[in-house]
Amino acid sequence: MPNRIIVAVLAAVLMASAMALVTSRHRARDLFADLEAAQQLARQSEAEGNRLRIELGRAGQPAAIEAAARRLGMRPIDPEHTALLPPAARSAQP
Amino acid sequence: MKRSPDSGQSVATGARKRRRGTDPGRGTANPLLQVRLPAWRSRMLLFGLFCGFVALAGRAVYLQGGFSTRFLLRQGEARYARTLDVAATRGTITDRNGVVLASSVPARGIWAIPDDVDAGASDLARIARLLDVPSGELHRRLAAEDRSFVYLKRQVEPDVAQRIEQFNLSGIHTSREFRRLYPEGPITAQLLGFTDVEDRGQDGIELAFERTLGGRPGLRHLIKDRLGRAVEDDWVREPIEGRDIRLSIDNRIQYIAFSALRSAVEGSQAQGGSIVVLDVESGEILALTNWPSFDPARRDRMEPHNLRNRAVTDTFEPGSTLKPFSIATALEAGVLTPQSPIQTAPGWIRIGGHAITDTTSHGVLTVEQVLAKSSNVGTAKIALQLPAQALWDTLTAVGFGQAPHAGLTGAVTGRLRPPESWREIEQATIAYGYGVSVSLLQLARAYLVFARDGDIVPASVMRSETPPAAVPVLRRETARAVRRMLELATSDEGTAPSARVSGYPVAGKTGTARKLRDGHYSDAYVASFVGFAPASDARVVIAVMIDEPHGARYYGGDVAAPVFSQVAAGTLQALQVAPQAGALALAATESGSGAR
Repeated sequence: MPNRIIVAVLAAVLMASAMALVTSRHRARDLFADLEAAQQLARQSEAEGNRLRIELGRAGQPAAIEAAARRLGMRPIDPEHTALLPPAARSAQP
Repeated sequence: MKRSPDSGQSVATGARKRRRGTDPGRGTANPLLQVRLPAWRSRMLLFGLFCGFVALAGRAVYLQGGFSTRFLLRQGEARYARTLDVAATRGTITDRNGVVLASSVPARGIWAIPDDVDAGASDLARIARLLDVPSGELHRRLAAEDRSFVYLKRQVEPDVAQRIEQFNLSGIHTSREFRRLYPEGPITAQLLGFTDVEDRGQDGIELAFERTLGGRPGLRHLIKDRLGRAVEDDWVREPIEGRDIRLSIDNRIQYIAFSALRSAVEGSQAQGGSIVVLDVESGEILALTNWPSFDPARRDRMEPHNLRNRAVTDTFEPGSTLKPFSIATALEAGVLTPQSPIQTAPGWIRIGGHAITDTTSHGVLTVEQVLAKSSNVGTAKIALQLPAQALWDTLTAVGFGQAPHAGLTGAVTGRLRPPESWREIEQATIAYGYGVSVSLLQLARAYLVFARDGDIVPASVMRSETPPAAVPVLRRETARAVRRMLELATSDEGTAPSARVSGYPVAGKTGTARKLRDGHYSDAYVASFVGFAPASDARVVIAVMIDEPHGARYYGGDVAAPVFSQVAAGTLQALQVAPQAGALALAATESGSGAR
């Protein structure tokens, strides 16, 4: 009976496509959940990066650097301890 | 009787028993049982039930047969969909070299529904400790009966909020918010301003650039699965992230200016002070600082009068720092040359019943010397040779009487009356800086005209890659002549030798102006110095203002000029401007030992 065979084949195809739909939908949702998690991580990393940039700013503050330099016994430039080299003398250096 | 056995059994049984006339002792003859109920009542009941079922069936067909899907969709969504606000991060403010000056980091707000909170005293004590809030305060907030929502603390660190979440107390919740951090603290406080708890700009740059910095929060529709994971989303409105801005400020120069200003104000027991540093080439503001300042991280200690960005919002009578503009006008008009002699003896003149005096009698001075020695009499005499309109034109062209469009909030116009209303004495006093009021930013910008060979550019607080269009004000020769005079003012015969910087020639003008109090000039002074360095090829204009110095010395040359010197030295080093051997040798000789 060719009609019965066709019906059976079509029914099988229908079932397969239904299963495929469910599976792909499930996969899409799984992937979306992963994407969400990754985006969350990205946001956290960005916030962390921001925080680190602020930390860097704090560490590089002129006030902090000046205090550290003074602790190391350094002092501001003064004319008594300044020697100016003419450009020719500088180019003679290796 | 046609009653069926099951539909009226007890009544029928009673009737049968009665007919037989026997009573086997099973219950007495209850008269209620003898009442015959009308048959329509049971039919009515049956009909009612039938109608109910028909209604249910109708509803089922209506909902499921495709007539209306709204109700079920809504009910379904309520079970798995959420609409969330997605906060937009506020933009970062950086200095010209990319150093972060203000940035937002995530924080949490801790809130509670007082009626739902059933935490014990020990839990509340732990929360109070974590939040650093007095326990009594916490109890007081939770006891507020008329409120269904109360914040326990806002802007809490995320890890603290996480520990509170771990207690899992009913009625206590957390919400996402942002906290604004200012790594430079008081150094940039008035310039940057601050934001409120909602991360919206309230003052300074934060307010002026609110539209750029502040993003727009988004709205997101999410579908969650059984595990609470988001599985599908849909943006109702995408968030717009705040954009970053890059200021023209250099944080090194800002620090140099701030620390020099603080020590000068404290050293002279002054009320306060401000410094503005401008880049001569671009008009960019490299530093803008005020003292006293405040720490934006300690809101509870903020005092309203310290919040103002005084260099921009406050005006003062500039005094002698205005003289170069009068003299430039005279040179420009061709009335005088730098070498023209001016008689300033006997050290005072009387104009329209008012006396104008110098500190001492200088005798005959050249125009150059009038400026170097800051003679009021000389300047008044020069100004009276000019039409009022010419002086007004110069002062207006360099920006007095107009608010600078520098991108700063609260910038004031100052006061410069129209020349038609000037009397003779007013023209004379305006020429040496009384009867006009200016902000320090206006004054600093006006000096660009001398530093830049006669043209002027707008001051700006934003970093710009393209140089702004310059507007010519004075002829090149005039600007150079005045520059030479300003250089003389920092020589030994001038009023400000203490403005000199080792290694760099500088030019500038002192100002010492009495302050107006209740319409009268008082014994309080504003000491100022505006100058630029290196004098011949200027890179920066630096304006220093010290308000009411209380020490033995209150002159601009004694109080403000040394601050200029300090700031100029640091700024030129920071900008890597090569020192000039001649100026260095001179400074080294002065300090007592030979140059090496």
